[in-house]
Amino acid sequence: MTTPAPRRAVRALWRQTAAFGAFTLREYRIWQSYRVNQIMWLTNIFVTTLLFFLMGRMLTASDAHLMGAAYGTNYMSFVVVGIAVNTFLFTNLADPYTRIQRSYFNGTMDLFLLSPMSIYMPLVGLMTKSLLDDYPRLFIVGAFGMLLFGAQFRFQFSLAALGITVLLLAAAFGIGAISASSFYLLNIKRGTEPVRFIVQQLLATLLAGTYYPITVLPRPLQWVACFIPHTYAFDALRRLLDPGAHMAVPVLPVQRILPWSPLTVDAVALGLMTAILLPLGFFLYGRGIEKARREGTLTRWQ
Amino acid sequence: MEEGPAVSLQAVGKVYPGVEMSLRGTKLETLGPVLWARNAIRAARLTIEHAPPVTALVDVNLSVARGEVLGVLGPNGSGKTTLIKIVAGLLRPSTGDGMVAGYPLTASDAIRRRVSYVSTTGWMGLEWALSARDNLRFFAELSGMSPALARRRTDEVLRALDLEEDAFKLTSELSNGMRQRLIMARALLWRTPLVLLDEPFVGLDPGHRQALSDYIRRELPALGQTVVISDHQAEVVESVADRVLILEGGHVRALGTVADIMRSLAGLIVLEVVTELSDTPTLLPPPLVHRVERRLRPGPLGLVHWRLTVEQGPSTFSAVLAWLSSAGGRIVEVEERRPGLQDVMADSTVLAAEGA
Repeated sequence: MTTPAPRRAVRALWRQTAAFGAFTLREYRIWQSYRVNQIMWLTNIFVTTLLFFLMGRMLTASDAHLMGAAYGTNYMSFVVVGIAVNTFLFTNLADPYTRIQRSYFNGTMDLFLLSPMSIYMPLVGLMTKSLLDDYPRLFIVGAFGMLLFGAQFRFQFSLAALGITVLLLAAAFGIGAISASSFYLLNIKRGTEPVRFIVQQLLATLLAGTYYPITVLPRPLQWVACFIPHTYAFDALRRLLDPGAHMAVPVLPVQRILPWSPLTVDAVALGLMTAILLPLGFFLYGRGIEKARREGTLTRWQ
Repeated sequence: MEEGPAVSLQAVGKVYPGVEMSLRGTKLETLGPVLWARNAIRAARLTIEHAPPVTALVDVNLSVARGEVLGVLGPNGSGKTTLIKIVAGLLRPSTGDGMVAGYPLTASDAIRRRVSYVSTTGWMGLEWALSARDNLRFFAELSGMSPALARRRTDEVLRALDLEEDAFKLTSELSNGMRQRLIMARALLWRTPLVLLDEPFVGLDPGHRQALSDYIRRELPALGQTVVISDHQAEVVESVADRVLILEGGHVRALGTVADIMRSLAGLIVLEVVTELSDTPTLLPPPLVHRVERRLRPGPLGLVHWRLTVEQGPSTFSAVLAWLSSAGGRIVEVEERRPGLQDVMADSTVLAAEGA
């Protein structure tokens, strides 16, 4: 007797959820099994925030106008959002490739692929560590910035800000999945992975507005910045969290030409990017696995 | 419930594409900028040079009944792992077709849910910062088992593999043999219809080897599991398998029960001959010689070890010894024995006497 379709679907969903939970627990156990991990983690966050506090002190009041009308005049508030979100983004974009690569070379990927679960589960499951790491980091950087370095935030739009981070996470993970797919699809097993390098190290670092507003860039580069999700996330979060920011003043070129409010433009752009990048990332990863199956490069040790 | 054999393969072959050519290991490697320039030119032209493809498996036809234990024998590089990976859904065959656990070879995801796989190096993928038990529970829960079921199954397989006392040790604290048993335990968690064991006895002491053999022989078929077990040691496979598949250079050399294969060797004997170092005889071997292996014996004396599978007969000895002496090497030692499964498979250094 066959099981009814809805029951099968529920069972499949339960399996995936249980597997995801198992990954989370495992990653947490590994993380907390190394004694100095937690201290190093906090020290790293503190030092990064301190670095930008010191750099921020070099900005005199006369330089504040460079930040533009939309983001207020408090550089620490500006840069703390930049640092927190950039780290958040960096891990979600870079980690899929790095974790697939590490699992491949230490043999864990062989065991994943030889276990009864979806081929996408390692890609998603291995990212639980990033979530465990990044969301607390977001709040700790903010707390350091506020308590020690003079950053100021408002909290009445916290839920909207959280929503933006979820969209950003999904879009960044889409790019991360595309980057991870190159491990099998382009057979890039070592060295610098090009998708991650171009998006994170070239475009995002230079153009997205982590450390300075994109209005200081030449106009054509401002348009290039509109093609990565980082730009919209920085813009939206600064508007939502910085008490000196203005909701209605457009900053990005695309905000100037569309009739909607800048925040709506940010949310729509992030949603659109998620809708394109996430399925594309999974599709390419699946193609990569299939290519590796044909070529015999799916596992390293077996 | 799926019908038909657990595994059925028709004319399955595998050719690996050649790997990307590299200057690594050549004299040019020391000239760093030469490599940089080569990389830049290739990147600009978007071209890659490949080594010739490698044929790993040729025209394999195979059917494994449900509940059967099939042994796969062959020397290193004979295609055993390639065959097992194809059955496991980790590798696409280049030619041919087949079904595994009721699913076509192309349905890799469905197959993976019905197959457990153990290899010699599987333990490398265990998480060393976690205990043996936590590693097993992680994999149990990955497949969607409830925490209670995962705990029960984990305890069961730890007991079955004699790892109960070491369950709470970190993987890094276990010996190689224990890790090998742990990876075996992992494969038994799911009770999949098909269990693939690629050299599962590596690193095990004789006691645990025997215990694992008995477990594979008795328990797995009793649970309705079909087993495909590969090794390059005939006695290991002989002790557990209902039937044996012998691979050589990617070709099926023999397939049948141990008794069937041994029957095909009736009337043959194996001569182990040691001679002084000499050239290979220029004359063709006598027609009663079926197979010749020649290996240099390690050591300062310069001796050659010949293994000849020959037809039993009154003139066998004299004909073979005369042939070996024709190249000038003095015969040091001669020993005669009955052939075993080990003599059916041989590695690529064999001088195939048949048809020579």
